[in-house]
Amino acid sequence: MCDPKTPSGYVQFNEDLCTGCAACVRCCPTQAIRIREGMSVHLTDRCIGCGECIRVCGTGAMSAPTSELESLKRDQISVALVSPVLYSQFPGEKPENILQGLREMGFCYVVDMSYFLEMFQCAAEEFIARNRENKTYPHPLISPICPVVVRLIAFQFPDLLSHVMPVIRPVALMSREIRRQLVPREPDMTNKTVALYYINPCPTKFAPDRPYFHHEQPYVDRVLGINDIYAELYRHLSQSQGKIAKNGVSGFSQEYFNYCPGPRSLIWGMSGGEIAGMDTEHTLAVSGLRETVTYLEKIEMGLFSDIEYIEFRTCPEGCLGGTLTAIDRYLSKNAVQKAVLKVGAERRVSRREILQLYEKDWFIPKSSLARMTGLFGIQKPPLSIDSLSEIDRLMNLLPGKNCAACGTPNCRTFAEDVVRKKAALSDCPVFCTRQRKK
Amino acid sequence: MSSSSLKKTFQVNKKDFIHAGEASIHIKNLLKSLNMNSAIIRRIAICGYEGEMNVVMHGGEGCLTLEIDTEKVMLDISDNGPGIENIDLAMQEGFSTALDKYREMGFGAGMGLPNMKKNSDIFKIESEKGKGTKVQMTFFITEKGG
Ligand SMILES: Nc1ncnc2c1ncn2[C@@H]1O[C@H](COP(=O)(O)OP(=O)(O)OP(=O)(O)O)[C@@H](O)[C@H]1O
Ligand SMILES: [Mg+2]
Repeated sequence: MCDPKTPSGYVQFNEDLCTGCAACVRCCPTQAIRIREGMSVHLTDRCIGCGECIRVCGTGAMSAPTSELESLKRDQISVALVSPVLYSQFPGEKPENILQGLREMGFCYVVDMSYFLEMFQCAAEEFIARNRENKTYPHPLISPICPVVVRLIAFQFPDLLSHVMPVIRPVALMSREIRRQLVPREPDMTNKTVALYYINPCPTKFAPDRPYFHHEQPYVDRVLGINDIYAELYRHLSQSQGKIAKNGVSGFSQEYFNYCPGPRSLIWGMSGGEIAGMDTEHTLAVSGLRETVTYLEKIEMGLFSDIEYIEFRTCPEGCLGGTLTAIDRYLSKNAVQKAVLKVGAERRVSRREILQLYEKDWFIPKSSLARMTGLFGIQKPPLSIDSLSEIDRLMNLLPGKNCAACGTPNCRTFAEDVVRKKAALSDCPVFCTRQRKK
Repeated sequence: MSSSSLKKTFQVNKKDFIHAGEASIHIKNLLKSLNMNSAIIRRIAICGYEGEMNVVMHGGEGCLTLEIDTEKVMLDISDNGPGIENIDLAMQEGFSTALDKYREMGFGAGMGLPNMKKNSDIFKIESEKGKGTKVQMTFFITEKGG
């Protein structure tokens, strides 16, 4: 067991706020949380950082360990890498104004991510088309975008790691390129003076010890949740309302690296937004933790092999439903749909240029995820046939109500814990009451 | 040496498409927790799934029984539905009596029974018209998973 205050790289725990209600215990997809002595305790190596416990915690005892805005004052060269999900949090506001607001908050450079999203989509199309011919990777290919999905696969469906499409993800493409382009602008820069801030809705992207997928280094230095910056950004936006409109941020200046939000950027955050921008035909978009698990179960059984590519997002409705967003996901979804109607959704990147980069191995990581399995959480030690029989026997003694009063998510996991000697049968209050009545 | 074994039965009901496949998923996860070779797990899961789907689509009330010991895994899928008139015909690739509405759902390629036969080490099918159908499959656990 670990220090309860830092249960995993992905979640922070404040024991003073914990009431032991077990909401987190029940929602955890990898059964990584237990209640012991009235307080929640995490089994660190099984946390995949999905953020569900943060979402369901009613007291705020669970939170995401994002970076603090404070560090912005200390960092010499601060760069904000902006996930387009941010724009959906300000319905009706122009992305340009939002980026300008970030500049006013103190970032030296502010870069929109959309261009890299398009690059990724284009490279993904190419990968899928080639794989159709050479059949190197099994169908369906799985999108590498959602880090929770990748970790869920590594932990619970390791055989499916070979399905994860080995194309470097947009945020990694972006940080690599921005670092490269910074050199001529900031001749004195060193790794110490530059800080790339990734502003996004997802707690999982930050964990100092997290495994790098696909050799995605260099990566970002700090991660800010959208909800961390929302209030301050909102203030800047309402103050500078008139000013921006007058001056106009026409023609992106230096500070923006010429990467501006495109018409497609907004859809990205919605479930289906990734595949909507791809010309691949046999695709699916699945969102939500439970749905994702169900699909992975079926893929593991050999189903869905007629589908070429599946976009999974564990957050409901996609990244718009991320744990660290600031406004309701249906409001932001509505904002996106309205905005897309207005601007359309054409692609900016040139297919020819992308193909040239593709040939130069720009998108393909050096090592495969499947080979990196060892880096992921410890797999559960196997059970024997006898322990499975013992679990069945215990199940007959247990109430089967999955009440979690024992501090374990459900009776089945509890029986397994008992067999693994991680819990005692007497931890089940219902069992004890029944014993006493006998 | 050890005579360890495990037997479990799952209900499978006709027309119950919502829960169809759950028994096979459960079995797959049980075998995974035993750390069995993934190739054999996949074969067993596919056979279980095809068997479940057949009961749901063509059969009646039925059940799937799993038996595991140290050497083999056995699946028994039985139902009390209409039965199969001509088993040889049903075993042919591409033969199917599936209704159009099931074909629209992606079933009815007539590949289920042939796939079950292909993926199991021993395959037995018995059926009597009006009485029901019983499919029994055995999978031997070998080092490389067969
Ligand atoms: N349990 C059953 N009860 C009655 N008839 C069955 C049963 N299982 C199979 N059959 C008959 O055998 C035929 C062939 O079965 P098979 O599983 O090979 O193909 P299918 O179920 O029609 O299509 P697919 O499995 O490819 O979706 C079925 O169309 C059906 O007529
Ligand atoms: Mg069938």
